[in-house]
Amino acid sequence: MSYIFFLILTFNNSIVSGQSDNVDISCYHCHPAQVNEFQKSVHFNKNTCKDCHGGDLNISGSIVSINVMHTNFTGKPSPIQVTDFCSKCHANSTSAYKESIHWQKLKEGRPAASCTDCHGTHNILSSKDHNSSTFSANVPGTCAKCHENQSRMQALYYGIRTDRFDTYKKSYHYKSYISGGRLLATCSDCHENHDTRPASDPKSAINPANLPSTCGKPGCHVEAKSTFIYGGKIHEEQSVNLLSIDVKKLVTYFYILMILFELTFTLGLIFLGITSNFELRRRH
Amino acid sequence: MVELTFKRFTLNQRIQHILFFTSFILLAYTGFPLKFPEAWWSRWMIESVGGVDNRTIIHHFSGLVMIGVSVYHVVYHILEKPRYDILFNLKDFDDFSQQIRYFLRYSDEHPKFGRYTWKQKFEYFGAGFGAVIMGFTGLLMWQPFEAMKYFPLGLVQIANLFHTWEAVLASIAVFIGHFYDEHFGKFPNFSWLTGNVPEDEMRHEHALEYEEAMKNRPAGNPEHGEHKKNHILIVGFARLVFTIFFLAICIWMLWISYKVLLEAINTYIISLL
Repeated sequence: MSYIFFLILTFNNSIVSGQSDNVDISCYHCHPAQVNEFQKSVHFNKNTCKDCHGGDLNISGSIVSINVMHTNFTGKPSPIQVTDFCSKCHANSTSAYKESIHWQKLKEGRPAASCTDCHGTHNILSSKDHNSSTFSANVPGTCAKCHENQSRMQALYYGIRTDRFDTYKKSYHYKSYISGGRLLATCSDCHENHDTRPASDPKSAINPANLPSTCGKPGCHVEAKSTFIYGGKIHEEQSVNLLSIDVKKLVTYFYILMILFELTFTLGLIFLGITSNFELRRRH
Repeated sequence: MVELTFKRFTLNQRIQHILFFTSFILLAYTGFPLKFPEAWWSRWMIESVGGVDNRTIIHHFSGLVMIGVSVYHVVYHILEKPRYDILFNLKDFDDFSQQIRYFLRYSDEHPKFGRYTWKQKFEYFGAGFGAVIMGFTGLLMWQPFEAMKYFPLGLVQIANLFHTWEAVLASIAVFIGHFYDEHFGKFPNFSWLTGNVPEDEMRHEHALEYEEAMKNRPAGNPEHGEHKKNHILIVGFARLVFTIFFLAICIWMLWISYKVLLEAINTYIISLL
């Protein structure tokens, strides 16, 4: 028995001797993937594992990690805990986030996006980094992780539609980027990144009353400031009714028939023209 | 061999036509890649005009040219001596049914067309109404916030819907129908450049107009004479190139109409079932 303790102690010392301030070997020993990710993140050199996971690095180093984990250790912090320890440094962003619908739902005990769901966990990158989940071009994909998930959206809150990314893809904001140009507005530009509120909230950026200032942000549609935007939602497909008839549906039906008719007519006449001898007669 | 040529289009008309079709081709070339940004040809076409921002500039400029030509054409019609042979009349119905009967071998007599065949009238008015629809909806989409001062957002979205559908409709009519009739069938057809139509084509396609012109023609007028040259190899090669180009564009148009129809059917019909 004492022999085993001796082995553990020896091994333990060899790890401690190799430990630097940030690369903490005791965590790396069992969680190399996480530590490697963490080393690439913006928090490396500023934070250690302890800042989020708790524990005590001074007692570091044991194969079974009992010592590291003995003080205030949290293996997987809950979303509310995450918000708490992010707020230690990012007070402004967190207080803005605490106004959002995501936090409101989280407080009610329902699963909703917290800091790490958008920013990532160990691999947090600056939003200017092209690989970051919060880089403007990656934002739609980041939001779509949850908002495109039908079972998740329907199980939790009724009325959240899962086609928002699909409808966004049809807008010039996204098409410009896909075609190799600038990325124009993404989700967070209109819905706000931290302070995301439902449209029914009068303080929401997408509340009809606030739309002129949201669309009229500097560099965007400045002329929108003097516009009263009404009558339809930008993501919605069917929104205009004339005498209780959906105009879009009417237009679509009309043109489906027109195009089918035109294709049949044009191709049919070409076919008939080829099979007839009218063209041949020209040469005689 | 001396062959007669007939002046069918004045310089003014030819310039209108050239401006109209140049802007039409540029509009289609810069418009469809934006409708299908994820298609492989889309990125290539946008790169070829120098990026998305250039695409937008070209599209807007060509749109203005098309609107300008269309407005000018109306003014031109009013100022010039008004002509009524472009309007539909009862003879067109007879011509149409007679042509179908001829095609289906119920009759041996091909109808004799006047200055404009029923199909050309369809194309003319199709282009006219198309230009009106595309012009108005395009202007609405160009300045959506300006438009929203007077109309609800839904109207801008409807403008978008019209713009796409009308573009597909017009492109099928031009790139398949018009190209087949006027360029593939009458290859090489330079009447859009010279305004002249050779005698055999005139007699064949516009028999009534030909008879009329021959009746009024002063006897032995030499200035209409032209030596017919035979460049079989050059014309044959050009015809081959044009055929390949024409088939490619037909496949492209069919793909586009398939995609647009599929999307509409998925959105508006499948969801109802």
